[in-house]
Amino acid sequence: MTGIILIMLVSFLFPGVILRTKSIASGRKGPGLLQPVYDIGVLLRKGSVFSNTTGLIFQIAPAVALASIFCSALLIPFADQNSVISFDGDFVFFAYLLALGRFFMIIGALDTGSSFEGMGANREALFSMLLEPAFFILMGTFAMLTGYTSFAEIFRHFYISGNQYMLIYGILGFYLLLQIALIENSRLPVDDPKTHLELTMIHEVMILDHSGFDKALIHIGTYIKFAIYGSLIFNGIVPAKWNIFLQIGLFLSIQAMFAIIIGLTESFRARNKMNKNPKFILTLSFIALLAFVVVLILTDKLI
Amino acid sequence: MIPYLIVLFAITLVYFASAERLIIYIRLIGLQGLLLCGIALFELREINTANLIFIVAETLLFKTILIPYLLKWIVSRSGVTKVHRQAMPGFYLLIFSIASLLVSVILSNSLVNQFVNTIYMTIALFTLFTGLLLIVTHRLIISHLIGFLIIENAVFLFSLAIGNRMPMMINIGILLDIFVGVLVLGFFGLRLRPHTNELTRLKD
Repeated sequence: MTGIILIMLVSFLFPGVILRTKSIASGRKGPGLLQPVYDIGVLLRKGSVFSNTTGLIFQIAPAVALASIFCSALLIPFADQNSVISFDGDFVFFAYLLALGRFFMIIGALDTGSSFEGMGANREALFSMLLEPAFFILMGTFAMLTGYTSFAEIFRHFYISGNQYMLIYGILGFYLLLQIALIENSRLPVDDPKTHLELTMIHEVMILDHSGFDKALIHIGTYIKFAIYGSLIFNGIVPAKWNIFLQIGLFLSIQAMFAIIIGLTESFRARNKMNKNPKFILTLSFIALLAFVVVLILTDKLI
Repeated sequence: MIPYLIVLFAITLVYFASAERLIIYIRLIGLQGLLLCGIALFELREINTANLIFIVAETLLFKTILIPYLLKWIVSRSGVTKVHRQAMPGFYLLIFSIASLLVSVILSNSLVNQFVNTIYMTIALFTLFTGLLLIVTHRLIISHLIGFLIIENAVFLFSLAIGNRMPMMINIGILLDIFVGVLVLGFFGLRLRPHTNELTRLKD
């Protein structure tokens, strides 16, 4: 339960840290850390406006997306504790819960009948499809290394399996999860949340027609998703057996570092050309596959 | 230490499949030379001093310094900075590379015996396929030259896969091969214009 409380707490501060980092990097003082939360408060107090061409799918999509993200957060363990929901193969459930939310957002975008939103939905679906193998191969690698198939057991046994190559997988896991988090949350270098041209938008163009309360739900979902991936990175880096208070401190530090890395990336890195994105995402699957092959060989599973 | 170097070597191959600038290819060739030097130093145990010096000279002097320098000179003289725009899109090359990694794993698994180190064999086969893919899918002669150098690195890894000995004659053969290859292909690289099939001056 500590994990879910920490994820919710961090998800409120996360966007503020990104915003503040970007402001400082561009020479401005920037808004306070809680400014995105106040913005969400404003949006929550507003009503939603629905186009005449939209139907029920469009109206329920943001709520389903937020619910699926929240449920997937329940699967994330913290330190030595079990997650709220934990069973064998729960990482598959986690991935497809997130995919369910994304699916509803995509069909919600198609429901508007707007060609721009259809274009964004198309791109989002393609990138998600390309990203999925990277996540599954990475988790498969971890499962093979530790001999367990649930998040809690994998991370609990990650650093005590006695394998001398854990450092390689720790580094590869950190890199891959960081990149997956950036792509899943539609951030640079694949997507830019600040872009104002519909033709170059991916995620933002899908949610153009959402307003007020629904838009707030979408934003909250994005913030929680950031914290979820930050939590996965934390679990991959920090051994589960360490002292709980130290773990809480490290959790907050790693999440803050994660937000600062995103802020700095968005300040100093250019966005990829749209046609380079599939190749960029596929490279992640390639690296994950490489790690998987090395594990197969090192654990004598192949021979 | 050796697995770290081998994983790094394999990651350079992934980068080969996704990079588009020739200068990155050249840097990667230099890095591969350095990694091969490290792998050879850690791996080779029953070897005499003369042979060791030769291997270090081959990997460090030739593969890490001299050949990248020559390639850089060729690239700057020919004025070509990126792979040909009509080359196969990087996305498909990546898919083929992933397939080649899987084929390498299956092949090395089927060839397994007590004399062959499987991890070297897998990465050597993967290196060989990456070199071949670069040659087949790219259109510039400089890319072919880089593919050829990658295949030479694969041969080096193959020799490591089958034991701790590395005969001097084979090394000299490989070195001569690389040297002549770079000279001959470099010569063609300088002579042949890369965009021969494009219309640049249209007139009515």
